[in-house]
Amino acid sequence: MKPHGLSLALSSGDPLWLGIALFAPATAVGWGVAFSALRRLRYARKRLSEQQDSAVVDHSVEPPELPIDGFPGAVLLLDTLGALLQANQEAVSQFGDSIGAILRHPAARGALSAALRAEALVQDGAPPVCSTTFTLDVPIKRTMFVALRRIPGAKRLNDRILVLLTDRSEAHALDRMRIDFVAHASHELRTPLASLSGFIDALRNGGASTDEAVRQQFLDVMAQQSARMKRLIDRLLYLSRVQAHEHQKPQNVVEVSDLMALVLDEVAPRFEGEGYALKFDIEDDLFIHADEDELVQVMLNLIENALRYGKHDDKILTVTLMARRAVEQDDRWPTEGGVVLSVKDDGRGMEAHHLPRLAERFYRVVDAGQAGRTQGSGLGLSIVRHIIDRHQGRMHMASAPNQGTSCLVWLPPLVGDAVVERVPGPSLSVSSDEAALTEV
Amino acid sequence: MVDRSHIVKSYEQELGQLRSMVSQMGGIVENQVALALSAIADQNEEAASSATQQDPEVDALERDVEALAIRLLALRSPMASDLREIVATLKITGDLERIGDYASSIARRSLRIRSTSEQITLTGLRSMGRLVQDNLRRSIDAITQQDSSRAMEVWHSDRAVDEYYTALFRELVTYMMEDPRNIRPCTELLFIAKNLERIGDHATNIAERVFYAVTGENLPAVRPRGGIASTENLTDSTDR
Repeated sequence: MKPHGLSLALSSGDPLWLGIALFAPATAVGWGVAFSALRRLRYARKRLSEQQDSAVVDHSVEPPELPIDGFPGAVLLLDTLGALLQANQEAVSQFGDSIGAILRHPAARGALSAALRAEALVQDGAPPVCSTTFTLDVPIKRTMFVALRRIPGAKRLNDRILVLLTDRSEAHALDRMRIDFVAHASHELRTPLASLSGFIDALRNGGASTDEAVRQQFLDVMAQQSARMKRLIDRLLYLSRVQAHEHQKPQNVVEVSDLMALVLDEVAPRFEGEGYALKFDIEDDLFIHADEDELVQVMLNLIENALRYGKHDDKILTVTLMARRAVEQDDRWPTEGGVVLSVKDDGRGMEAHHLPRLAERFYRVVDAGQAGRTQGSGLGLSIVRHIIDRHQGRMHMASAPNQGTSCLVWLPPLVGDAVVERVPGPSLSVSSDEAALTEV
Repeated sequence: MVDRSHIVKSYEQELGQLRSMVSQMGGIVENQVALALSAIADQNEEAASSATQQDPEVDALERDVEALAIRLLALRSPMASDLREIVATLKITGDLERIGDYASSIARRSLRIRSTSEQITLTGLRSMGRLVQDNLRRSIDAITQQDSSRAMEVWHSDRAVDEYYTALFRELVTYMMEDPRNIRPCTELLFIAKNLERIGDHATNIAERVFYAVTGENLPAVRPRGGIASTENLTDSTDR
């Protein structure tokens, strides 16, 4: 009998059990009495501890802090009243000043009370995730995605709420851009259309009384405007074509000097006039996976931009084309190797704040000196960016006012089993002593 | 709404509940101001109506907070900083409720300025709105974090709000003198600017009360003021 009681006491580890076991009466009747006394005692103790727990808040029996600091994301821990208990490093560095405003936003509060009410799901045993998205105006305008989940504690009051904060401002900005695109595209088309219909009205109302010279002038402007509209629509169509197959990687292997020869053929006439100079420095034996036509478009667009936006009124504009192997350990590019193509001018350049927005559709750098110059479609760099994305390349632009602009395009090295077909015949021979070119 | 599924028993819990309700109220009011301002900027009717729809909720919360605060005072006889916090909370909820009222007044007016002529720019109003929003955010942060230095920040930056108001007042009067057709929209805009300025004042009041609750000391009675006093007489008509 006695050893049994003792082993029970030892296994339960309860001093009360131990005491009774040690002084246990030897008879069976005595055991019965002892057990019922014990049950009553334990019940009373349980009551007492419950009362204590509710009177002295559970701060004394708070669960240990969760190791949220190492979590890869902005994570907070709240109590059942929504007060902040813990915020990990990521949350503080990303949202620091806004955490209070985020947590008290009505949408977040709504999600909080939903998360508190939500019962554990049968399948995975954890309460479901409640989430919401909203926009804050201050301190900086941002769109927040907040996901909350209840972590059940020993008692309901000890529950914790785990919160994951995600900044969705970028996705929101994308939506905004799409809306802007439609608005801008229609605006861009409307300007030439308005002038077209204006001249049509003038010709129609003026009738025969309009003299021949004026009439000819009107028709010239109309032809010009309709050409502008056509160009714009062509560009838009080209852009959407580029976007449509953006996810198919180009398979053909192209030699860069062949590509550049095509480009030079195309642009040479533009440099025949006064005030423009073209230099080039193109290495041999550079091979890339590429869609030749598309890359020619990239170079043409970049050269076109240099010509259009770089020209000082009184200075010669020099445009330099380069193609070379990427320098080792250049951290602008994602991997080692690869090929860098560049278009560099020594023209007017632009303020640094324009650079991040250049590839947006219809974004144009406007400044006082440029008013009245021929306007581009505003789609060039957008097209360039999409083509480079398709080639899994990168683009890097640098510019400063009056220092010129340089635009670098990096294309990844050939992968493994690509067959390099040397095209027989003389490739473009280039003398690089033509200019002491600096590495951009 | 506050989740009341659990029965709150302890003093500490009740105090936590009080804080949670004030912060919830602050969140709603902040949202009302944000909605009202976007109603002006984007002529967003939906934002305007949801700003006004939140009024009853704020009022209900104000009553709940008051009841809980009185209960705490009566049953728990709080001392020192707890006592100051509870008394300050009673006043702060009044301020928050007023801010909510001003926000919905702005929202209602925003729909009446639709006929605004092209030449009236809302840039000034927008930046004033941002500043007021930021002050409000900081003063509510000060409540929830019981942070007196934050309260001081708000107290000092109210001056900039006053300056914005004075500048806006001049600008709007100029528009009205240029073209009588501008009078209607400009009057609405004037009231909106005045309401924003009042929201800024209430945010400053909140900051003062937090400062008192945390430190036990009052900020000087005269607070830094911007703008010119003479415009005050012209515009100090209450619009409720």
